[in-house]
Amino acid sequence: MSSERLLLAIVAVLVAVIVGVAVLWQPDAPAPAAPPTLPAGGEFTLQSADGPVSLKDFRGRVTLLYFGYTYCPDICPTTLSALTAGLAQLTPEERARVAVVFISVDPQRDTPEHLKTYVAFFDPGFVGVTGSPAELGELAGRYGVFYQRQPGGKDDAYIVDHTAETFAVGPDGRLLARMAHGTPPDQVAALIRQYLNQP
Amino acid sequence: MKRLSVIFAALSLSTAAFAGAADDVVVHEPYVRLAPPNAPATGAFMVLRNGGAKAVKLVKAENPASRLTELHNHINDNGVMRMRQVPAIEIPAKGEAVLKPGGLHVMLIDMKAPLSEGQVVPITLGFDDGSSKVVEVKVQKVMPAAMPAAAPMQHGQHHH
Ligand SMILES: [Cu+2]
Repeated sequence: MSSERLLLAIVAVLVAVIVGVAVLWQPDAPAPAAPPTLPAGGEFTLQSADGPVSLKDFRGRVTLLYFGYTYCPDICPTTLSALTAGLAQLTPEERARVAVVFISVDPQRDTPEHLKTYVAFFDPGFVGVTGSPAELGELAGRYGVFYQRQPGGKDDAYIVDHTAETFAVGPDGRLLARMAHGTPPDQVAALIRQYLNQP
Repeated sequence: MKRLSVIFAALSLSTAAFAGAADDVVVHEPYVRLAPPNAPATGAFMVLRNGGAKAVKLVKAENPASRLTELHNHINDNGVMRMRQVPAIEIPAKGEAVLKPGGLHVMLIDMKAPLSEGQVVPITLGFDDGSSKVVEVKVQKVMPAAMPAAAPMQHGQHHH
């Protein structure tokens, strides 16, 4: 390589670096403080007692997704009660822009009709959905959700281990956050408000 | 008449002696969680205090509202809740066992009929020495304030 070519190559690299910095430089952007990585999340269509429900049906709203099953004696009711209490702290205008979707990972026992009655106990506006094992498995993978039927128990009395986090999806369908099991209602309300008011 | 009362006293004494662990354990703040009407199962929670000098084990529970009653625990495995039947719940000497949401519970499985708020479910607690006691437990709507402290929320990075 001639020294002239080498010089040209160096200049080209420098120009690329300068252009790159100029394009990417955002003095206002806060330094990313190593945020936890969120799963990809994304679209789905599952079955409710009132027909198919898709995540995109809730565009413009903050949607809270919870993966559980109605045989769950404690963990699922605790979460759904906390969401109910959290939503009660919102103004009616804010409340109208929030959806809660309970996704049963136990379609063998939880029919859409059964789910409708179950979630209505917490809030008549909550939506209960489920799907085929294949659909649920694929969706759970995208949301980083684990669930597994435990051996033992009679035909109808088995336990399902499952991720007990609640997922917050933004008005544009993007997965924004996940809340740990046991998040108290005021934190639920604060999280919803934060994402409702986000530009 | 006097003899009869002596016999009664002796009888009640022997009952107390036989009661054993059941007499040492006092149950505080018991409640059954009011579940959705079609929920197949629910949980009973309480604090068991052992005033005795010996550890006591709760080994079984029975109730007339469900077809099956089991002792359970929850293990939070990195956000995954794993519920497991346990053979016994130990109540240390002069100590307590806390049955609360997210942890130990008496699980009422396969309800015979939906429970209603305020209804009383008599739960029979059986201990490792063969003694037992009946606790009248009210069905309550569980307030989320009674939940365990939460881990911090995880927010994602916002890509623009
Ligand atoms: Cu249980």
